[in-house]
Amino acid sequence: MSKVDRIIDHYSARVYKNRKLHIIEKTDDNHEIAANTRTIPGIMTNRGCCYAGCKGVVIGPIKDVAVITHGPIGCGFYSWGTRRNKARGDENTKNFVEYCLSTDMQEPDIVFGGEKKLRQAIKEVVEIFNPDAIMICSTCPVGLIGDDIHAVAAEAEKLYGRKVIAFSCEGYKGVSQSGGHHIANNGLIRHIIGTEERAPTKYSINMLGEYNIGGDAWEIERILKRIGYDLVANIPGDASIHDIAKAHIAHLNLVQCHRSINYVADMLKDKFGTSWLKVNFIGVSATIKSLRDMARFFDDPELYARTEQVIAEELAAIQEDMEYYKSKLKGKTAALFVGGSRSHHYQKLLKDFGMETIMAGYEFAHRDDYEGREVLPFIKEDADSKNIESIKVEKDERYRLYLTEEQYERLRKEIPLDYYAGMIREMEKGTIIVDDLNHYETEEMLKVLKPDIFFSGIKDKYIAQKAGTLSRQLHSYDYSGPYAGFNGAINFGRDVTMGITTPAWGLVKAPWKTQPILKGQLQEVV
Amino acid sequence: MRAKLKNLTVNPCKMCMPMGAVHAFYGIARCMTLLHGSQGCSTYIRRHMATHYNEPVDIASSALTEEGTVYGGEKNLIKGIRNLCQLYDPDVIGIATTCLSETIGEDIDRIIKNYRTQYPESRVTLIPVTTGGYMGTQYEGYYRTLYSIVKHVEMNPEKHNGINIITGMLSPSDVRALKDILALFPLEYILLPDASENLDGGYETEYRRLPEKGTTLAQIARMGGARLTIELSLFNTPEYSPGEYLKEKYGVPLVRLSPPVGLRDTDAFIKYLSENSGCSVPERLKHERSRYLDAMIDSHKFNAEGRAVIFGEPDFVYSMGRLCCENGLLPVVCATGTSSPKLKELLSLEVGKAANALVAEDFELLDETDFEQIEMLALKHRANLLIGSSDGRRIEEKQGIPLIRCAFPIHDRVGGQRVTTLGYTGSLNILDSFTNTLLHIKEGSYRKTLYQTYYRPVKEVKQQATEKHPCFSCSGARQYARIHLPVAPDCNIQCKYCVRKFDCPNESRPGVTTQVLSPQQALERFLEVKKKLGNLTVVGIAGPGDALADFEKTRETLRLIREHDPDITFCLSTNGLALPQYVDELVALGVTHVTITINAVDPEIASKIYSHVTMMGMRYSGMAGAAMLVSNQLTGLKLLASRGIVCKVNCVVLQGINDHHIETVVEKVKSLGASVTNIMQLIPVKGSAFEHMEMLSAKAINAIRKKCEAILPQMYHCKQCRADAVGLLGEDRSLEFNEAKENAKAPGEKQGLRFAIATKSGLIVDQHFGKVDEFLIYEYSEGRVSFIERRNIDQYCMGAGACDDQEDKMTRIFNALTDCEGVIALRIGVAPQRKLEERGIQAYTTYDRIEEAIKKIAREMMGEEAV
Repeated sequence: MSKVDRIIDHYSARVYKNRKLHIIEKTDDNHEIAANTRTIPGIMTNRGCCYAGCKGVVIGPIKDVAVITHGPIGCGFYSWGTRRNKARGDENTKNFVEYCLSTDMQEPDIVFGGEKKLRQAIKEVVEIFNPDAIMICSTCPVGLIGDDIHAVAAEAEKLYGRKVIAFSCEGYKGVSQSGGHHIANNGLIRHIIGTEERAPTKYSINMLGEYNIGGDAWEIERILKRIGYDLVANIPGDASIHDIAKAHIAHLNLVQCHRSINYVADMLKDKFGTSWLKVNFIGVSATIKSLRDMARFFDDPELYARTEQVIAEELAAIQEDMEYYKSKLKGKTAALFVGGSRSHHYQKLLKDFGMETIMAGYEFAHRDDYEGREVLPFIKEDADSKNIESIKVEKDERYRLYLTEEQYERLRKEIPLDYYAGMIREMEKGTIIVDDLNHYETEEMLKVLKPDIFFSGIKDKYIAQKAGTLSRQLHSYDYSGPYAGFNGAINFGRDVTMGITTPAWGLVKAPWKTQPILKGQLQEVV
Repeated sequence: MRAKLKNLTVNPCKMCMPMGAVHAFYGIARCMTLLHGSQGCSTYIRRHMATHYNEPVDIASSALTEEGTVYGGEKNLIKGIRNLCQLYDPDVIGIATTCLSETIGEDIDRIIKNYRTQYPESRVTLIPVTTGGYMGTQYEGYYRTLYSIVKHVEMNPEKHNGINIITGMLSPSDVRALKDILALFPLEYILLPDASENLDGGYETEYRRLPEKGTTLAQIARMGGARLTIELSLFNTPEYSPGEYLKEKYGVPLVRLSPPVGLRDTDAFIKYLSENSGCSVPERLKHERSRYLDAMIDSHKFNAEGRAVIFGEPDFVYSMGRLCCENGLLPVVCATGTSSPKLKELLSLEVGKAANALVAEDFELLDETDFEQIEMLALKHRANLLIGSSDGRRIEEKQGIPLIRCAFPIHDRVGGQRVTTLGYTGSLNILDSFTNTLLHIKEGSYRKTLYQTYYRPVKEVKQQATEKHPCFSCSGARQYARIHLPVAPDCNIQCKYCVRKFDCPNESRPGVTTQVLSPQQALERFLEVKKKLGNLTVVGIAGPGDALADFEKTRETLRLIREHDPDITFCLSTNGLALPQYVDELVALGVTHVTITINAVDPEIASKIYSHVTMMGMRYSGMAGAAMLVSNQLTGLKLLASRGIVCKVNCVVLQGINDHHIETVVEKVKSLGASVTNIMQLIPVKGSAFEHMEMLSAKAINAIRKKCEAILPQMYHCKQCRADAVGLLGEDRSLEFNEAKENAKAPGEKQGLRFAIATKSGLIVDQHFGKVDEFLIYEYSEGRVSFIERRNIDQYCMGAGACDDQEDKMTRIFNALTDCEGVIALRIGVAPQRKLEERGIQAYTTYDRIEEAIKKIAREMMGEEAV
């Protein structure tokens, strides 16, 4: 039986048929996988909902915006501080990331409508917090009872003289949190980006899809600033809405998490002409490649030189530690199951330490994240994806191209400009790729593949560890980090080494288990 | 403030119903939970529980999508049940609804029936429970689920000698502690639920995907035949009480007891078990009791300094409140996010007694509250201990009040599943952590406190005032609050960096204020703020103009406040132009701290900073004006210092104008007696002459400060406050206090129903009618409640000499309340109530937020339906 069959053998015929399309073993030519389809009821998925993707992931990290969850209390509570994205406030920038604001709808609000309560809540938010902007995210019942949150937002925007933006991100929309990313992306383009101005400098760039989990964005920003880049906005980790509002002035957008932010990247290109570059700042070699690709885009001798100088200095600083951790980790095998890009990004970092990825999967990715963007025209739209609005933007009067057409065509052959090749292509033959790995499959996979370490999230971490496999969270980093860039690689190496060498693993077997229950002697019988 | 905030929950102190449902189902053997709704509900709850319990938490979802909202979720739910059975083979599936399925109106019973028809061979027990997120909190969700469990499991009502024990949401470790106690008695019992193993399992080489331990279906089926049910909760409503159900349906007698936490409640429980089983109390428990008692006595002296804030579910808050009270640790705030009037009722007796023992300390009992409210009250009551879930960590971080994490959820520590509070040993265990936390605070500060309290040589007295002054002392800045009273709108000089606007509450810098107060209003503001901020030590006059430009107002304000508070420290800030003229008066008024802004000591430089000065009705500009200002500033400074007044000199660094001159300024003011300088950044203001001047970086400012530190101490913590700032430096609360006034109307023109409120807190109706010296008068008209004024009843004294008489107090009250339709108090005696009614004034008793209470009562009076 193949590895894949051993994992899903126990399913009923219908479920088996469905899941078989989502789990593949890589051969030379199969890149195709089913993704972004409905979760099977009763199968314990790790996926979240549309609200989680919109409020929890994309909107939540913007620090100077007060986000009101319009709905009953649960969703607001559960998304309160759970993503561990860090943000700093200072005298000029407010920081509401630590707050949970909710309209806490009660039964009468469901029956008679919640608009009045929402209106009042907005007034109170203005009075108490006086935020620069307000965002409203709706939960399941709101869409059903027909509250017009967009009308309330428009009215409040006039009344209070600041941006008030509504997101209809009811949990049941789409098939996973991915729908929520899209809705949030639409809002950023429609209401924020391009509404404030500043002059670009020589190397003005944006970082898109970096969430500053465990301080990743700060490590990346540190490196970019050393080289001399002008980071207009990091969207959305530790972002101020005023930075996001100016994002259109950049010459180039860097895309870290393709899945959650590609809509903004594409729309920025259509509306303002800004190209995007797929980067990966997870892993030393990946970081270096990304920095060189960026220099290639600007094609400036001074920038090339500065890039190489910074790379050399950063490498020199971490080399000793890298060697040490590599000596501990070389040859270990890993399985990864994370959101929609990390499972790909972290393979590079593991490789830096000589570790091998034997399984990788995404929770809520689409086929292009697995197979590359060339598959986009072939992805069939289904009822669920049609439910998420896809907006078409017009060219803005500020539209400008940084590269000539010739330069652009030439560069596209060298660097991933407006392109992402997907995860599968870079994986080894014989490895397993899983979409929407569920609880049941996690257990089976651990039994069949026996990885040394399972990188995943809090929900399946303890399944793995109860079964004797070390597990580390790649969503929240088990409250460690940063893992990005040069210094982050060392943190990661340290954390994994510490996990693998934890004394407890060596003490699993109790002494009486190794002692014989019966003792006997052989005697020669005459 | 809270009264207006009911539409916005800021940092919730509760979770949703399905969270409670999952917890209850986790105590049933071989049971899986399926949430009927969108998959996010399961995912969020799994995440929260896994973080707390460090265990796999498996909750299935019917994963409804948009299609489900249109056509209903039957297909998904049946498929979900089917798949769960196939992969997990559970004995029970708990089906809990969510916001989504309740809003679309799913008929779960019908869907279950259809499932049975489609799959007649399926043996799984299905238990549906209605838990829409908006119907209540996790507390109600939990009991509703237990209720559904006993209702849906097929009972075998054959009588037996066992008893049922039903518990609230206990930690797995507490469940084990409970079982340990029960095991000491010759009792057969059925425990519902029992998550002690399922949510706190050990290391196993092979992970078992179905929670195997817990209360079995066979056990539950026997609950109907038990001879007794003990429900360990006082706050679960009878409507959803599994014990009530068993009583009604199967005639099983029901006893409600408080969970055995703390000495008295453990005693009561053990006594009951002993009597019921006819077995004397086991030696082991006697030993445990005496050990706990011994510890209570040993640590009483430390506990007595505790001022706890307890928050969480009603059962938890009640148990912890009682445990604190019996240890002399006063719970100053007890709060739950759930609606539970009964909790407040029971605790008010308990905590009231403890508070009385500590000479009538104030305390607060709240339900349906959030952390914003809890934080405000924690500060008001000078709490030094938080007890509850890790959701209190934001208060801990912000206010420096230590948090004991002992309730679900705990996300930032390990061991949530092992927190033990039950029985004598559990109580001792949690008491030790309270005491040790209090000791930790004490050990870190008591030497210093003792020194400062008892050893104060005469010359240090002023030093002390300085230490409590947030603007003069760094340590003071974190502990002591100040209020700036905006009474001085006029200014006698024009600095080029300043434009004074009165209506810009967004900005935080000197010269800006929401509204200018008259001296009388300033006094009222002071009294109001003082009530709310216990740590208020300083009153300052910082403009919005210059405190000395219209000295009449400043003088009158300080005089009025001094009459009410002999101890408060006065300070003011000035540009110094009029200083020489008023030094004597300032000393006489008791001003001890003065801040003078001196940006230059060289008239030539000064002339670039100031456009003009106004002296004696004449305007001088250029060098002449500048020279006049500088000479008055320096003279004033010297005079103040010679009279023993602590002088701080503020100096605004203006790039290209005085940035190289700062050291000279510092040296000069030092020689004249200044004790600290505050070198500040320019805040460029739109419309001012320096609008486009570049700000110096904080680094550059600090470099200058560092240099000047060799000459004179420097202030590093300046926040450049507003002229009406209130609170600690850097945490302006002026908006909150401004707002309270906004609704005030002139007392004269009556427009609606008037009510006199008996309140201590000013937020809640919380005072007995008989104890009142002062009423707050509110008016209700057209759905709006507005504050009118405070009325001190002494002012309505009619005959001199007779005022001590009770009879006369009543008369005074009647005189004071002639224009009121009603009186609202916490409690009122029968006699006064009758007398009020004779005069056409209705008396109402309630415990509620003032504005809420008025709205309810006014609507009642006018015969409106309460909305």
